[in-house]
Amino acid sequence: MAAPPGAERAPRRWLTRERAAPVVAGIAILLIWEIAVRSLLPSFVATPTGIVRAIPSTMGTWAFWTDVAVTLSAIVQGVVIGSAAGILVGVAMGRVREIDWFLSTYIRALYALPLIALVPLVILWVGYQPEARLIIVIISVFLPVAVTTADGTRAISKDYLDVGQMFGARTHNVWFGIALPSALPFIIAGIELGFARGITNAIAVEVLASVPGMGMSVFTKSNELNENASLVYVVCLAIFAVSVRALMIRSRRWLAPWYSR
Amino acid sequence: MPDTTRSFGARVARFRTVNAWWIQIACYGASMALLVAVWEALGNSFGVLFVPFSTTVVRLWELLHSGPLLPALLVSGKLYLVTLTINIVVGVGLGLALARVSLIAAAFERYIFILYATPTIALVPFISVLFGFEFGPRVLVAVLISIFPILLGTMEGARSIPRQHLDVAAIFGSTERQLWRDVIVPYVTPYAMSGIKQSIALSMAGTLVAEFFLNPDGVAAVLLQGTTIVDSGWVLAVTLFIAIIAVLLVGIGELIERYLVKWRKASVG
Repeated sequence: MAAPPGAERAPRRWLTRERAAPVVAGIAILLIWEIAVRSLLPSFVATPTGIVRAIPSTMGTWAFWTDVAVTLSAIVQGVVIGSAAGILVGVAMGRVREIDWFLSTYIRALYALPLIALVPLVILWVGYQPEARLIIVIISVFLPVAVTTADGTRAISKDYLDVGQMFGARTHNVWFGIALPSALPFIIAGIELGFARGITNAIAVEVLASVPGMGMSVFTKSNELNENASLVYVVCLAIFAVSVRALMIRSRRWLAPWYSR
Repeated sequence: MPDTTRSFGARVARFRTVNAWWIQIACYGASMALLVAVWEALGNSFGVLFVPFSTTVVRLWELLHSGPLLPALLVSGKLYLVTLTINIVVGVGLGLALARVSLIAAAFERYIFILYATPTIALVPFISVLFGFEFGPRVLVAVLISIFPILLGTMEGARSIPRQHLDVAAIFGSTERQLWRDVIVPYVTPYAMSGIKQSIALSMAGTLVAEFFLNPDGVAAVLLQGTTIVDSGWVLAVTLFIAIIAVLLVGIGELIERYLVKWRKASVG
């Protein structure tokens, strides 16, 4: 695509080509979507204007907010439990070589495995229940946090340990006073990755195990040929996922300002 | 340094450094043995919902030898290879294009990030309404899940090329081909390769998701079949099988990375 129209004529300096480009591209994407669907596809297929018109009837129901509450609270719960467990196991692995060697076989194998493959097994064990979603989110967060925490606490600068020893640091001081803070950027990166995977896997479990929630509703609305309502849910999920990413980047800058990446 | 009054801690430390290699192997062995032992013991006590390790292995052999697993593996393998190929070709190509033409990058970058952050599974109903449930939409879903490490990695690599290098190349009148061979490819390759390494593992997740959610097919369908008939031996065997393949794929990715590190050392030094 050529330079966006109107960018050169703009009198004010804040309207640069680089700033105008995303707006123009966004409008172009929405226009092409709208026109292509209207001219080529049946009327039930979602369009941008259709999604906007479906917002009041979708978001005005209790069912919508119940879905949002159960899905998001399960994800947040899973992230809290998974991160806490991941940090504990990760510090132990990073500081004690033998624990690392002992556990790394399992953690690596599970980390390599696409967790969606564990969903049928979890469904078989706990049934078609909301607990299946929580368990999968916990595992999704635990694994990356344990791996990054282990990496971060393993590679502490020798100077910190020497200073710690000089001041008579005990094992728990070294673990939680030196290793953990210096591994903070790694841990946040792990939580960020785990959060993203947790959102995806929570939706996967909802659909595969028929657990009510946002992901389940995306599919049921679509099956009822209510595509616009289905896409309202997708947009909300996307907003949640994007805000989580932004929040994690923000918190990394805030909690670990010395680590710029 | 010899000292006669070594404390217990120091003796442990010495033992650990001298015997590191053996302790490592012992730990790996012990962890595997413990897994098998616990699995075997618990399996016998819980009954139908959790069969022992030995039963699982026998079950896996049956599924592979005379069951649906090998034909399903061929179906999934085809989807996997097509997905990975598209990821590499489109990911590297688009990544280079986006990084070299800054206006296009500025226009589309944030939408790519939104698409990356959005759980692809939520887009499956929309994709199936648009394109159906056949091989094409499956590939699309799998690619949407696994292309981003390559795409974003390549973009980052192309942006890491120092401005001076490009200027010097221009001053000495290098042709487009020389520019690519001597400047762009050496800079972009490590970044693209680390994206490809991640995508080798991620494409498998993409394949499974596409098979789970667009009319079950391939290995995912075999796995779901086990859940439907509540056969825990079946489900455990297929999960174990997928885990083994996943570990192998990650291993291949790490081998490629190791080879690449050697190659870079050789070309730099």
